[in-house]
This record gives sequence, structure tokens and C-alpha cells, in this order.
Amino acid sequence: MSTTTLLLLLALVGGLTYLYRYAMIGLFASRSLPAWLHALCRHIAPASFAALTASALFVAGGEVVFAFDTPRPWAALVAVLVAWRTRNVLATIGAGMAALYLLKLLFPT
Amino acid sequence: MAHTGTSARREFLAGCRDEAPLLLGVAPFGMIYGIAALAAGVPAWLAQLASAIVFAGAAQLVIVQMLAAGAGFVPIALTSGLLNLRHVLYSASMADYVHHLPRRWRLLLAYVLTDEAYAVAVLRYQQRHAGEADQAEQADSGTQAGGMDQVADLRHWYFLGAGFTLWAGWQLSTAAGLLFGTTIPPEWELDFAVPLTFIALLTLLLRERAGQAAALVAALGALAFAALPYKLGLVAAIVLGLTAGAWTVRRLEHAR
Repeated sequence: MSTTTLLLLLALVGGLTYLYRYAMIGLFASRSLPAWLHALCRHIAPASFAALTASALFVAGGEVVFAFDTPRPWAALVAVLVAWRTRNVLATIGAGMAALYLLKLLFPT
Repeated sequence: MAHTGTSARREFLAGCRDEAPLLLGVAPFGMIYGIAALAAGVPAWLAQLASAIVFAGAAQLVIVQMLAAGAGFVPIALTSGLLNLRHVLYSASMADYVHHLPRRWRLLLAYVLTDEAYAVAVLRYQQRHAGEADQAEQADSGTQAGGMDQVADLRHWYFLGAGFTLWAGWQLSTAAGLLFGTTIPPEWELDFAVPLTFIALLTLLLRERAGQAAALVAALGALAFAALPYKLGLVAAIVLGLTAGAWTVRRLEHAR
């Protein structure tokens, strides 16, 4: 993506985000939020993060690749376990990166 | 009234102080974003500018992750546009507290209405009763004529203080990530911190059945639609996940 296109994209996302933030305190200040929007918003973050994580781990060049002979899926598994046990964001990122480095050290390619 | 000026400053500084501990949690994201943006080929100035114009950590991480994966304009706009939709909820939640303010104040506060600033500011607004002793004390030291409402009105300065602190922290941690990022060799694979961040946040979010269904279906969808061009498969997967979430909610309601 060219720098100009990216700048346009960021301006669009930024403008849209600002409109969201201003929506109920400015644009539609006298109205209440529709129930469907409330319900929709609840699942957007889990759905987005799950799709992006699955894609980051198992999609390469438009194809599904279960590369279990590389460190990343296993490091991600360690991160999932730590996240589940500790519910701590920094511990999860730290453990995942540590597992990645350890695996790379133990099994150099 | 001179007294209003000092009270406003006190509220602003209290907002800064209460937001400050949250920066410990925010700063690593800013740095990860900066590093991942460089790894995705985003020019440093544009990555920094994005922190000012988008000013939403999760969306910025999603954007750089998708750029790194070769996604196109439309899928990135749709995904981050959907992800940020939650800010409408914050806006609705704040509406009652700020509706009396002049438009320029609401335009300004909308800019700093982020996850972390919202979390701190909404507590201050909900503390109304808990904070009454404090307010009465302030009213005593000033003119009684102003009354409770006038003191209460200054809480937008608190909101602004919290938002400003978060904003400054986000810009500085982005800059730190960008500076740091140029010196880190790619073998460190720090871009991997982005999916790890998603895993961590996902675990915190998956408390109810419908959310779990949404996440599971979205993850499977991301694999099923992997072949779609420009990473449009991600958008399809998220929409499918949302459908699964809504369907689960309805089914659980019927089961009751």
C-alpha cells in the first residue's frame, strides 16, 4: 500500500472513530442507543481478535498452513495457557515471547 | 470567580494523577505498536501521526497486523471501523454527564474518549455521592452561592486531565517504540507481540458463552476464508462470528 493510500486509510479510520466518540455526546445527544447496537458491540472485540490471531498463526499467503514444525504456534499455545491461568496481559506477552526465543534456541533452523 | 479556576485546575490534575497508573499498562502497547508499524513498512512519521488521528490502541494494532499480512484498504477500514464501534457505547454512557457542556467542550472530550480515559472518567462521574464530602468541603471554602452543581460541573476538567494524560502517554510510548524499533534486528520477531496481545485481550473478554461462540466461529472463519483476496476473509470471519454470537444470545434466551 502506498504511503498516500495509507494516509487516506488512517484519516478515514481516525475520522470514523472520532464520529463514534462524538456521536452520542454531540450528534445524537438527545437520543438513546438502539438495543441492537449495544448487543452488536459486545462481540466485536472477541470476534476481531480471534479472527486476527487465527489468521496470524495459521494463514500464510492466502493459504491455511499448520506449521507445527515452527516455533510460533507453540509459543502462542504457551501464551494461551499463561493468559488463561494469570489473566495478565503483560505476563501473557512476556511468556509468549520467552517461549518463542527458547524454542528458537533449542531448535535452530 | 477566581475560585473556579483553582478548582478546575485541581480537577484536571486529579484526572492526570488517577490516569497515570494506567499508563503502565498502555505504554507497552504503544511501544509494540510502534515496533510493529515499522516492521509492517509504515513510515515512522505516519505511524506517529496515526497515534494522534486514530488514537485507539487496539485498532492501530489491528491495522499494522493487517498491513503486515498484505491486507487491502477496504478490509482494513471495515475491520478497524467495526472494532472501534464500541466507542459509541462510551459516548452514550458519557452523554448524561456532559450534555450540559458547550459544544467546544464536547468536541474536545470526544477526542480523548478512549477505553482507558473512559474507564477513569466514568468512575469519577459515578462517585457523585461518595465525593460529596469532598465537594461540600470545597463549597465551604468558596462561595456558598455556587452550590453543589457548580462544583460538580467541573468534573469535565477531570475527564480532560485523564484524557490528556493518556494521550501524552500514548504519543510518547509510540515514539519510544519507533525509536527502539529501528535498532532492533528482525530476528527478535517483536512483531509476534501483536498476536500475543490479541490472545491476552481475548482471554479477558471471553467470559460469557455468546462471546466464546463469536470468537470460535470468527477464528474458524478466518481459516475457511483465508483464500479471499485483500484479506477480505477476515471481515467475513468477523461478521460470521458476530452472527454466531447474536444467535447464541437468542438461543440462550429461549432456553431460559
